[in-house]
Amino acid sequence: MDCCMGCHACEIACRQEHDLVDETRPKWCRVMTIKPRRIRNELHLDYFPIMCFHCDDPLCIQCCSVEAIVKREDGIVIVDNEKCNGCRLCVYACPYGAMSFNELTKVVGKCNLCLERLEYGIEPSCVQHCIGGALRYVTQEDLEETIKGKHTSFIGKVCYASSKWKLAQ
Amino acid sequence: MSEETILCKKCETPIVLPKKLKDLLSKTEINPILKLDELLHLCPRCKAQTFAEQTIGEALQRVPRDWPLPKRRSEERKSVRFDKRTGATVYKSQCYICNSGCDALVYEKEGKVIKVEGDPSSPITKGTLCCKGLASKEQLYHRDRLLYPMKRIGKRGEGHWQRISWDEALDTAVERFKEIEKKYGPDSIVLATGTKRGTWCDYFMRFANAWGKQFTSTGWAQCAIPRQLAGLMVLGGYAAECPDFSKANCILIWGTNPANNWPHHALSMMEAWSRGAPLIVVDPELRETSSKADIWLQLRPGTDAALGLGFLNVIINENLYDKKFVNEWCVGFDELKARVQEYDLDKVERITWVPKERIREAARLYATIKPACMMHSVGIEQNADTISSCLATVMLPAITGNLDIPGGNIFPMFKDIRGRGDLEYTLKHLITEEREKNIRGSAEYPLLSSHACMLYPSAHNATLWKTILTGEPYPIKGMYIHACNLIVNVANSKQVEEALRSLDFILAVDIMMNPTIELADMVLPATTWIERDELTSHHQASYNAIQIGQTVVRSGECRTNYAIINELAKRLDVKHMFPPESDEPFFNFLLEKTGLIWKELKERGGHSFLDVYKKYEKNGFNTPSKKVELANRKMRNLGMDPLPKYREPDESPISTPELAKEYPLIITTGGRVSMFRHSEGRNISILRDLMPHPLMSINPVTAKELGIQEGDDVIIETPRAGMEAKAYLTEGIHPEVVQLPSHWAGNYNVNLVMDNEHCAPFVGSTQLRCQLCRVNPVRNSSRYDSKPSGALNPAGIVLKSNPAAEQRGIISNGVKRKK
Repeated sequence: MDCCMGCHACEIACRQEHDLVDETRPKWCRVMTIKPRRIRNELHLDYFPIMCFHCDDPLCIQCCSVEAIVKREDGIVIVDNEKCNGCRLCVYACPYGAMSFNELTKVVGKCNLCLERLEYGIEPSCVQHCIGGALRYVTQEDLEETIKGKHTSFIGKVCYASSKWKLAQ
Repeated sequence: MSEETILCKKCETPIVLPKKLKDLLSKTEINPILKLDELLHLCPRCKAQTFAEQTIGEALQRVPRDWPLPKRRSEERKSVRFDKRTGATVYKSQCYICNSGCDALVYEKEGKVIKVEGDPSSPITKGTLCCKGLASKEQLYHRDRLLYPMKRIGKRGEGHWQRISWDEALDTAVERFKEIEKKYGPDSIVLATGTKRGTWCDYFMRFANAWGKQFTSTGWAQCAIPRQLAGLMVLGGYAAECPDFSKANCILIWGTNPANNWPHHALSMMEAWSRGAPLIVVDPELRETSSKADIWLQLRPGTDAALGLGFLNVIINENLYDKKFVNEWCVGFDELKARVQEYDLDKVERITWVPKERIREAARLYATIKPACMMHSVGIEQNADTISSCLATVMLPAITGNLDIPGGNIFPMFKDIRGRGDLEYTLKHLITEEREKNIRGSAEYPLLSSHACMLYPSAHNATLWKTILTGEPYPIKGMYIHACNLIVNVANSKQVEEALRSLDFILAVDIMMNPTIELADMVLPATTWIERDELTSHHQASYNAIQIGQTVVRSGECRTNYAIINELAKRLDVKHMFPPESDEPFFNFLLEKTGLIWKELKERGGHSFLDVYKKYEKNGFNTPSKKVELANRKMRNLGMDPLPKYREPDESPISTPELAKEYPLIITTGGRVSMFRHSEGRNISILRDLMPHPLMSINPVTAKELGIQEGDDVIIETPRAGMEAKAYLTEGIHPEVVQLPSHWAGNYNVNLVMDNEHCAPFVGSTQLRCQLCRVNPVRNSSRYDSKPSGALNPAGIVLKSNPAAEQRGIISNGVKRKK
C-alpha cells in the first residue's frame, strides 16, 4: 500500500480490460486520495486502491434476490450478467463501494480479478500495470514473504500492508 | 420495488435506496469499520473513501521499508504475435502519448484496435503503462479526430470547414506560402511545433532548415533547453536526465513528479524506494512523488538556484565531495568553491524558506550514500535565471562522483544513430550567420535562438509575437503549425491569439481540433502513434535502447508527420530534404552508422545496447576541455557568468513589495497530472473522469481568510488578467503559495494571467513558477458576475453552441464540417 503513487493506471487498465469505456462510468477499481494531513508534526499524503475484496461472506450475495452473484470454489465472487435484473441492491449494500451499475447494459459489474486472464496464467491487468508495484497478485507463500514485519489488514481475499500505518482491522 | 432517493451525506450525489435494503442489512453482520447508518447514506465513491480513511487511520508506526520487488511477468520480445486469449494480433510498439516513450503492445482484431497494454518484454517498463497510454485507444477512435484535410470557409476562428483533397490542401498551402514569401521576403514565414517526442523535433528542424525558415515551439525556452544545455555545457551530455534509479541507494528528485509524467522513471524509482533507498524531493507542493519522500524540501517557487547552491555549499565546505573525481575530471572547482561561500545556509534559508537543518540533512544524505542518483526536470526551468538553477543541479552528480556509474547518473549508451547532433540529419549548417541574425531572439537570448543553443536554435516566443504584431524588424505573415497548441500552452495567451489572428495564412497539422488550429486556414489530419511506424533512440525514453513503433490501423485520410512534411518539401522544391523521402529509407538513414537496418529492427521489435559505464575514462567528457566544466568556458565566451547564482524573480514579495501588497500570493503552475499530457486528453471521457475540473491548490488557512471552501469557483487575478479554477484545499502547499492548474483552455487557461515580458537572461524562459496573484471566490469578484462564462468542455474550447453534445455530457470540439 505504501507503494501506491496515485497514478490511476490501474483504473484505466481495468476499464480497458473490461471495456468499461462508455460515459456511464462504471468503475471496478478506484484509487482514493487521503489528502495531506498533519500527524506528529509531519504532513502525510496517502493513496489507497480499492476494488472488490471477494469477501468471505459477501453482503452483495446476501442481498441478491435472483442469485446472480456467486462465490466460486476458489473464492472469487462473480456476477452472472444473464441473471442480474439490475435492481442495484448490491451496489448500495457493498460497504466498500466496489459494485457499480452499468447504465448501458443495465446490469451490475464488479472486479472479477480478471478471471479471463487468470485462466491463461496471466495476472490481473491492474497488477500488471501498477507502476509503483503496490498491487500484487501473490501466492500464500509470496504473501508471507512480502508482508513480513509489516502492518496488515486482511479483508476477504485481499491483504493491505503498510510499513508506515498501523492499519485498522 | 419501493425505493427512495436520498442524497449522499458527504458529496450530495443522489442515491436510489431500495427500502428492502435496510431490512436486509439490519439482519446481517456488517464489517465493523462501517456502521449501518453510514452505509445507507453514502454513495459508492464516498463509501470507498470512508473505508480507505478508516483503514489507514492515524496510527503512525514506522517499520523498515524493505518490500521485496514485485515478481513481474516477463515475455519474450516479439514484433507481432497472435494472442490466443483475445484472438487478437499483438503488435509491439512504442507509446507516444508523452515524451516517456514507453514500450507498449497494441491488440488488433478484425481491423480494430481492441486495447493497448504495457509490454512485459520491456526491460524499461516491465509491462507497465500509465493511464494516458492505456487510454490511447480512446484517442485513436475519438469522435473529435480530424480525418480529412479541411479548409476554412467562414471567418477566421468561426469554425466552418470544408473537406478537401490532400492534393488541393498541399498545393494551395504551398502556393499561399510562396505568395507570402514573394511579397514579404523569406523571413515572413515561421514554423511552430510542440513537445519533442522521439526523433520528431530533429526531423522538424531538418525541414525548417532546408526550407530556410525559423521555427519556434511552445516551450523549449522553459522546458528542455535550459536543463539540457546546462547538461551539455557542464557534463557534455544528458546524464542528469538519465538516472539509473533501480540500482541507486539514494535518490534526489528536483522539480519533477515522475509518478505523474515519467512512468518508466517512476517504476525504477519506486523499486529503489521500496527496498529502502532514501528519497529526497524538492517540490513546493506535497504531491504524488513528494508524498513518498523521506526528506521533502518545500521551497519557495523560483528559488531552486539558491537551494542548489546551498547543497553545493554543504557538500564542498563539509568536504563531502569526491576529491579524486574532482581532481582528475573537473575544471573550475576553485571558482565554484569561492562562489558557494556567498550562499551560506542562513542566506539560503531566507531565500528559499527551507529550514537550513533540512537542507544540510538532505545534502549530507545525497553526498554520502553511494551510489546516489538525481533527476531534475521542468520545475527548475521557469524562474528568473533558469540556466543557473540547472547549472547548480547538474553539478551535483559530478562533484559527488556519481557520474556514469551504475546507480548514478549515466550517459546514454546509444551512439552512431543520427540525432540532433548530426549535421547531415538536422542540416543546422544551413543556418548561416545572416539567417541566424534574423531568428527572433538571437541577440537577447543566444542560448535559445542562435547556434550557441546546441540543440534547436529556435525563435523566442514572446519576441516573435511582438514581431508579428508590429512588423518590426520585418513582417511575418504566414505560419505552419505542426502539432502545437500555442494559445493554451504559451504565456500571455491574449497576445498569442492576437498575433495568430493577424496572420495572412496559417497551415496547421494535428489529430484533433484545439483553440490554436481553430484559427487556421487549412488543417491537415495527422496519425496517432498507433497509426504510424516510428524509430527512436531518445534519452528521455531509455538510456540504452532503440525503440520502434508500428502501424497497426489507419483512420480516415490521416498521414504520418513524416509523410506530411515530405509532401510539403516536394512541393517547396526543398532539395535538401532528400534522401529521407519516405519512412523506410528515412529510418535506414537514421540507422546508417549503427550497422542496423529498419526491416530487421522491426522484425526484432527494437534493439538494446550493452551497458557501458565510465565511458569518459576512454574518451573524456564531451566538452571542449574533455572534462566536467564546473566553470563553463562557453558561457564565459558569451559574456555570461559561468557559475550558478541566484536571481530573485522579477515579481516577488522581495523584488516588488508594493505589487505584493495587492497581489500577495506566489504562483507556481505547471504541476503535471497523470491523466493529461499538457493540453491533451481532456476530451477523453475516462481520463477526464479522473479530474473533471481544473483545480487550484491552496492552503486551508489562506482559503479560510479569503472565504473559499473546497470546490468553490475562484478567480485568480494578476496585474495582467484573470482566470478561473476550482479550489482544492490542501495543507501540502505553503499558505503564501498557490498552484494554478495548467494547460486548460478558455477561461481556465493559466496563460491568460502569465507574464511574458520578463524572461530569464540569455535563454528567454518565461517565469511561470514565480509570479504574483490574488485569489477571490467567484461570488465576491467585481469582474465576474456569476458563473464562469465560457463553457468548460473536454476539448478545452469555448463553444458557441452544441446542444446535442451538451446533452450527452461530453462536448465535441465544435467543428462544423460542410460537405
